[in-house]
Amino acid sequence: MSAEKVKTRSVKSLLYLFLILLSVLCFTPFWLMIVNATRSGNEIMTSFSLLPGASLAQNWAIVNENMHLGRGFLNSLFLALCNTALVSYFSALTAYGLAYYKFPGSKVIFTALLVFMMVPSQLSMLGFYDLVNKMGMIDTYWPLILPSVASPATVFFLRQYILSVMPRAILEAPRIDGASEFAIFHRIVLPIMAPGIATMAIGAFIGSWNNYLIPMLLINSPSKRPLPVMVAELSAVRDITTNLGATYLVVAVSAVPIMIAFCFFSKYIISGISAGSVKE
Amino acid sequence: MKKLTALILALVMVLSLAACGGSGNDASGTPGTPSTSGSSNPDSGASSGGKADDIVLWTLAADLKQFAERYEEQTGNHVEVVVFDSADFSTKIMQTLGGKSKDVDVFVGEPQMLPNFFEAGFSADLSALDNEVKTRLVDYTYEAGCDEDGVLRAISYQACPGSVIYRLDLAEEVFGTSDPEAIGELFSSFDAIRDTADKLQAKGYTIFGDTGALRWFSNSSNPWVKDGQLIVDQDRLDYFDCAVDLYQKNQVAFAQEWSAPWYASMAGPLPQLTAADVDEGTVWGMDKDDLLAQGQAGGAGITQVFSYVMPSWGALIVRDNAEGNKGNFGVCSGVCGFFGGGTFLTINEYSEHKEAARQFIEFCTLNDDTAQWWLEASNGDVVSNKAILEANSDYENESFGNQHTYAFYLEEMEKIDYGMITGYDDTIKDAFGNAIISVQKGQQTKEAAMQEFYTTVTTLLPEITIPADAPFYSPN
Repeated sequence: MSAEKVKTRSVKSLLYLFLILLSVLCFTPFWLMIVNATRSGNEIMTSFSLLPGASLAQNWAIVNENMHLGRGFLNSLFLALCNTALVSYFSALTAYGLAYYKFPGSKVIFTALLVFMMVPSQLSMLGFYDLVNKMGMIDTYWPLILPSVASPATVFFLRQYILSVMPRAILEAPRIDGASEFAIFHRIVLPIMAPGIATMAIGAFIGSWNNYLIPMLLINSPSKRPLPVMVAELSAVRDITTNLGATYLVVAVSAVPIMIAFCFFSKYIISGISAGSVKE
Repeated sequence: MKKLTALILALVMVLSLAACGGSGNDASGTPGTPSTSGSSNPDSGASSGGKADDIVLWTLAADLKQFAERYEEQTGNHVEVVVFDSADFSTKIMQTLGGKSKDVDVFVGEPQMLPNFFEAGFSADLSALDNEVKTRLVDYTYEAGCDEDGVLRAISYQACPGSVIYRLDLAEEVFGTSDPEAIGELFSSFDAIRDTADKLQAKGYTIFGDTGALRWFSNSSNPWVKDGQLIVDQDRLDYFDCAVDLYQKNQVAFAQEWSAPWYASMAGPLPQLTAADVDEGTVWGMDKDDLLAQGQAGGAGITQVFSYVMPSWGALIVRDNAEGNKGNFGVCSGVCGFFGGGTFLTINEYSEHKEAARQFIEFCTLNDDTAQWWLEASNGDVVSNKAILEANSDYENESFGNQHTYAFYLEEMEKIDYGMITGYDDTIKDAFGNAIISVQKGQQTKEAAMQEFYTTVTTLLPEITIPADAPFYSPN
């Protein structure tokens, strides 16, 4: 074996070691969550373990006794899918409009978008509550879904994205062929933007799935609560230790759709990016 | 293009109609249904809301679900119980009732939340029940449920008097007696506590899990604020010195509250920990069974915790974690009477079912049957109903060495002086506690720490003045 080979091998094994370490580091919290889902509250409070316990059935019973896991799951899924669809479609539409149409005030709108991006959503929450209240939409899903039509950060990202992947010239062909503006958007622009949209959709899905504060404030009926609010209820229902294991169990279960969403979308991103649209 | 625009417009219209329809249904669901004297109709109680006497209750724990089930069995009126996480509960109430919502009829509050709710005008007047509550329930719960003008707005079904929970066997061994009166003497002042700690240390035991236990006694002689002035009297300085001494002499086990060593200490001997374990947070990674195994093995550096200072619900925690020590605990009084927590019920000012809500609150708080039932069903909760506590005063609690615990708590509650409580307490106690911690760790001298405490108080609570002769105070 030449010295060269030994060198690459040792570098490689170091790299592998480092990567293995990193993946262990990333996976440990998930593993702990799964392990804790199988242990009793008291065990979790008083000891630390990497091996599963024996309380899974008991935790499951506590979950079923105190909450409608299926209901919460469906509620969260419904909200997350609606949000993801609206964020994806309307942000793409806005981004395309801002990037390729010249109209008076487009610069102002874009600047306004940038400014709103900087304002944390918590700041506007009090006003938002009052607005929703005046519109009589408390305890409905509308205020949880409709605002995702306007998401400045996504618009900003997609605008930059489409400017970099699609030259203006590509729009001229369909225009000459007499396609309507919406047909151009749906048939030409949307597919080209797909990888960018997928990236943003992951964020939107996870954000909506994990959203706790706003649904907590706006939803009053227990049957309409999404999962995170139900989890908070589950952990509050008895004193600190009793329901801890059950809470971990629900959190573990609720992480599953996020993992699925991530797997699905990330595959799409990779294939989208490698396929490409226009090569210059 | 035109078609599409039309389509989208139509869609928007449908959506907005649906939105209005949705909320319209919700609004008309409760009051709109024909309510021809639906007061006594036991059969239809379980079916979904709509009856005039059905109410919605927002709470922090599942306890009231059991009350609601019993109420429905007896009256046929449904109470929908919605549980919220305590961390966000105040925010939720402030937002929802700030918007004058009618979606909730009864909500709960802990004593420290109540003044905010009262001030915001969220809690309806309950003075119709004033006389009954005043005479039949424990005094401090009445006072805690009144607003600044003395109008009753909240009522509690439970009471949380404080106590010292101590080990009977260790008391016999070290002090030759385990009588609650005699042991109470050992905790009657901060000086007495120091002596007690010395005697326990001589036998290899520690008096508390950590010095935080003393914080419950910080209202022993004066309220923190009186006539807009901060009061730091001799008792508070004694409290300060006592906490520092116990810490520096290693007379506590450094088993921080809620950590594994703290739970372990209730069940048996455990290794004496150090201040560093608490500072560095290693107590949080410890294993209860490991600690107990080490404690069993014996040898040098093994200790036992003699007592815990907690409200009545804390006694239940000790009981439930005592394992082999179960029945080996007693309760006695400390430096002063105190209370902690408790669930108060109050009616939403904007509710449309105030009468039904009042009936439910009456059922939970002023009904003797309910109180007796809850005392048994909750497995040891102290109720606020004095007659029921008296009726149970002969009850021998086997978890506490057959002590008459209800009689003890009833007596203990007489000592609670609600005039000691001010709205500033939490902030001031936190600041005082931080001053103590900095001296315990040797980061500051007592003078400097007290000076910093005064600065913190004036910064956080500018409306409070500090008297020029306050100890260690140098105005500048």
